[in-house]
Amino acid sequence: MKSLLFAWKNVLRNRRRSLMALLITAVGTAAMLIGGGFALFNYESLREMTARDIGHVIVAERDYFGGDEDVPMQHGLSGSDEWAQRFGSYPEVRAVLPRVQFSGLISNGDKSAVFVGSGIVPEAEFRLRGPQMNFIAGEPPATGAPVPEVALGNELAKMMKASPGSSLTLLATTTEGNLNAVDVVVKGIVNTGVPDIDKRLVFADLASVQKLLLTDKVGSLSLYLKDIADTDAVAARISAAQPQLAVRTWLDLAVFYKAVKNLYNRIFGMLGIIMLVIVLFAMTNTLGMAVVERTREIGTLRAIGTLPGEIVRNFVLEGAVIGGFGAFLGMLMAAAVTVFLLFAGIEMPPPPGHSNGHPLYINFSACLYAIAGMLVIAASAGAAWLVSAKAARKPITEALAHV
Amino acid sequence: MNASLSPDPSPARGRGEFPVACLTNISKRYRVGETEVEALRGVSLEVGAGELLALTGPSGSGKSTLLNLCGLIDTPDAGERQVAGATIDGLDETGLTRLRREKIGFVFQGFNLVPVMTVFDNVEYPLMLLGMPPTQRRERVLDMLTRVGLGEFAQRLPDALSGGQRQRVAIARALVKSPLLVIADEPTANLDSATAAQIVDLLHQLASERGTAVVVATHDERMSGRCDRVIRLTDGEMS
Repeated sequence: MKSLLFAWKNVLRNRRRSLMALLITAVGTAAMLIGGGFALFNYESLREMTARDIGHVIVAERDYFGGDEDVPMQHGLSGSDEWAQRFGSYPEVRAVLPRVQFSGLISNGDKSAVFVGSGIVPEAEFRLRGPQMNFIAGEPPATGAPVPEVALGNELAKMMKASPGSSLTLLATTTEGNLNAVDVVVKGIVNTGVPDIDKRLVFADLASVQKLLLTDKVGSLSLYLKDIADTDAVAARISAAQPQLAVRTWLDLAVFYKAVKNLYNRIFGMLGIIMLVIVLFAMTNTLGMAVVERTREIGTLRAIGTLPGEIVRNFVLEGAVIGGFGAFLGMLMAAAVTVFLLFAGIEMPPPPGHSNGHPLYINFSACLYAIAGMLVIAASAGAAWLVSAKAARKPITEALAHV
Repeated sequence: MNASLSPDPSPARGRGEFPVACLTNISKRYRVGETEVEALRGVSLEVGAGELLALTGPSGSGKSTLLNLCGLIDTPDAGERQVAGATIDGLDETGLTRLRREKIGFVFQGFNLVPVMTVFDNVEYPLMLLGMPPTQRRERVLDMLTRVGLGEFAQRLPDALSGGQRQRVAIARALVKSPLLVIADEPTANLDSATAAQIVDLLHQLASERGTAVVVATHDERMSGRCDRVIRLTDGEMS
């Protein structure tokens, strides 16, 4: 305790210099926490978006995820209602949604375009997707309407000159390899925020799509869980119980999430390293000067029986004190920025390939704060060790003669 | 860290009963640029318990070198040393440091107090190194400060004291652990005559009381005149 008090008193010897080192440490810590918090917010958003889009656990026939089908629904899942009922009885599962992916041509009579469609249970689907599915006109299609209803991506709607109430025709290849067509009514227009998707997107109710494709199978079942943390456990349970099925988690299929996380980990990891190096330099400079100024004192302490290791320990404590206070101040700064952004409503520009921006938020993570704080203190203490180790071993007579 | 001190005040050791430091045929050379300087040439010295020994001589005569060798903060090129009953040859840096920590006190010309430590903390520091319990340390430090007349200055910083007071603190720091040997390098050089006389008397009195051997390097005749024995060095040899 007394050593800590002396370290504190030594820090106060040259207040301006210590303050400068402390501020640099604080800014470095804040930068790490803000950068890290921003990355965490993005990870969480992307995770949420991906899970809402495809479900937490996806179950299909064994060869479904292989991709190659000679005819549509070749690897479709039969008896989807029974499977849905069985998986829906798991306590962790909130909902089970059947889906059929299909593609073909969409026509307004004058013009045709390629579409990529999803056959869904609209009521449950749009409720679960929540704010992610932005209807810019009309409303979600309904199941069992006299004329099948669809929702279009806004770019596709523009191409088809369609608006809610417009009639269009969907043309697709059936499970038998023939062409089939169905007339549909546009019920709503959605904007996913990704123009390339909105150019092709069609949502139709599952029964109409099955009728178009001449099948009673579904492509996959998407299981939405009450807690994302149960994903692996539920997937493992289904895999063990139903080895004839293919089971994937959202993470297995989240190519974009993994790419972004990989990229951000590198960017913000590098930022963290740069900040630590800056802290290291600042502390080396500050404590290096202190060591030179106190060479004679080091000689005195050595003469009266202080071991070199004990001298170094004193400087390391000083480094840790500056680092600790700097880290704490940095945490306060980062927390202030986090709170400010919560209310400021600052928008990030749309990422490449997207048409919508998103709010700039920074996640607070106690774990991140603890790790950053420890790293900064360790860097400060390490810098102190670097600069004091040699001075502590200097011959005592030389140290005492230092002017 | 082992405390090897008996409770203070330690029983006084009889003057000259046994040699505290024994240096035999010591030589030391320094290199200053391209020139090699022979600081000590085959010097032998013995200091007994409770003895106040002065090393005098002109600048460059080897006083400080001999003092540093006595205090184990420098190593000779040749010769043998025994300090506090221990043969020094073969001791590593840690062994030397521990010996200084337990057996040797230092008083410097420039006082060399730690400026951020209070008077109390400065005097307490050597006892902390010995791992003495806080209550025992406190008792011993306050007793020592009272003996050097600074009891009421315990919580002051060294900067708030006069030169004489600072040197008293330095003496208290050197003697608080009841060392066998105190090394004092020009302890009165920065003091006025009256204060210097007080410091000499204090050092003499405390050393005698405790049976501590004191080796003083000094130019000051007021100092050397009060010592039990005076050794004069000239060009690295005893004259």
